[in-house]
Amino acid sequence: MRPSRSKQLGLYVIVLLGALIILVPFYMILVNSFKGIRESALFGMGLPTEWLMSNYEKVFEQGNILRGFKNSFLLAGLTTVCVNLFASMAAFVIQRRNDRWMRSLYMTFILGLIVPVSIVPTIRLMDMLGIKGTYFSMIMYYTAVLLPFSVFLLVGFMKQIPRELDEAALMEGASFFQLYTRIILPLLVTVLVTVSIVVIVSVWNDFFGPFYLVTDSTKWTIVLQIFNFVSLYNTNWGVVFAFMVIVVAPVLIIYLLLQRYIIDGLTAGSVKG
Amino acid sequence: MERRRYPLYFSAPAAAIFLVFFIAPTLFGVYYSFTNWNIHADNIRFIGFDNYAALFQEPRLGKALSNTLIFAAAVTVLQNLIGLGLALVMNESIRMRNFFRTVFFMPYVIAPIVIGYVFRAIYHPEHGIVNVILNNVGLGATAQDWLNDPKWALFSIIVTDLWRVSGFTMVIYLAGLQFIPKDLLESASIDGASYRHRLRHIILPLIAASTTVNILLSLIGSMKVFEMVMVLTDGGPGYTTEVFYTYIRSTFSMGEMGYSTAINLVLFLLVTLVGLPVLAALKRREVEM
Repeated sequence: MRPSRSKQLGLYVIVLLGALIILVPFYMILVNSFKGIRESALFGMGLPTEWLMSNYEKVFEQGNILRGFKNSFLLAGLTTVCVNLFASMAAFVIQRRNDRWMRSLYMTFILGLIVPVSIVPTIRLMDMLGIKGTYFSMIMYYTAVLLPFSVFLLVGFMKQIPRELDEAALMEGASFFQLYTRIILPLLVTVLVTVSIVVIVSVWNDFFGPFYLVTDSTKWTIVLQIFNFVSLYNTNWGVVFAFMVIVVAPVLIIYLLLQRYIIDGLTAGSVKG
Repeated sequence: MERRRYPLYFSAPAAAIFLVFFIAPTLFGVYYSFTNWNIHADNIRFIGFDNYAALFQEPRLGKALSNTLIFAAAVTVLQNLIGLGLALVMNESIRMRNFFRTVFFMPYVIAPIVIGYVFRAIYHPEHGIVNVILNNVGLGATAQDWLNDPKWALFSIIVTDLWRVSGFTMVIYLAGLQFIPKDLLESASIDGASYRHRLRHIILPLIAASTTVNILLSLIGSMKVFEMVMVLTDGGPGYTTEVFYTYIRSTFSMGEMGYSTAINLVLFLLVTLVGLPVLAALKRREVEM
């Protein structure tokens, strides 16, 4: 059943209009990042009368951008390792044992999916543990926050890996550790890619965590840097737009290259196929 | 094979990290909400229900509560309507479907704080594109100071969030739609079922799983809104766009930690109260499948 020609055209116009609404703000950021202080404050859609690179130079001069990038990469990378490792190990025994203890552990993680973080007591906790403001504390915070979703996803996927594989491996004398590293992990790779994408995007874009938990400006992530930068230089929109381009560009490039995996990743676990 | 042989300690790192860095602070929070913990006091003292008594006296809590609920309800309903509508349109044979899917999903991977900054420019009373367009098409009378007018501020934040999340919702619906067998729809339309009829009796029931997930995700997510509100209005003008997390942030920055923890606990109860029934519905459906 195909809709008529005119109806199809109508539908196409709706989609086109929607896409335009999504794209205009992106275009606005980009085009205004090359304009001078007066022109950029008009937020116009036209091309710059004169293409300036000076906004970008200013951001690099004042923003300690590279340090922010390093911090964001470091946190995103190490959190990805922790979440993948610990969530897959847990999902392995949660799904395989499926006894009372493991079911309650699973339910606890599921609750963690909806419950909001108690951020102020978390600051206190980090203080008491003597790790306040450290990279370690941030990695642990993010790992704890992102574990529920990852465990949920991985347990669902573990169900599809037949137990016969375990039995065969154990029969041949493999230890449980070898079973996990040599049989289970390789079979989980596609889900682990998904988990990694979710973790990287979440950590990179997060403001809430470092805003409360990191006081030392040398450990600020790129998102925290733009917040402080805008608070200081919000009179020069051109520079602010340039900073926005710098924050958004890495994620956007990765997104456009891997869009299929990212869309599948971020929506994974939501629809059962 | 015996299930009990699978070694428990494999779950230990995840369980330990979650216990220490998520559950413990949550439980601490319950305790601290009953203390005078603040930046000026030398030691933390138990003060019973004083924080809560003070909190429920404050009209500001009522504002945060009603704004959070209005925001969550509006975003959840509209996001799902827009997302479903777009998905249905996209599911028809649209050229360049993948391109559009990529575009619609794009805002979801951008930091919400950056989206807040762009929309501050978009809503600018003089030069913002919204008012510029309204003026140019002769609707200048409807132009507003979108973020500073108490009548429009919350609405403008809702629209911004819809811009951010509708594409995500669409993708989930689209995934659900792809599982509907094409011949089922075709035979229904041969039998003379109108589009409305097919939508109600075939499409919607078959994408129920997507709907539940979308509603759960939008409800939970929108009740935890923070960065966008902070950047766009910071709860203002007055408290007309105050939500829980801007309220928590403002009491926290005044050094009232115990008090802000009490606010966090109210949010905790609210999210749990709303989230658990939806989660239960989700589980039930999963069993049926």
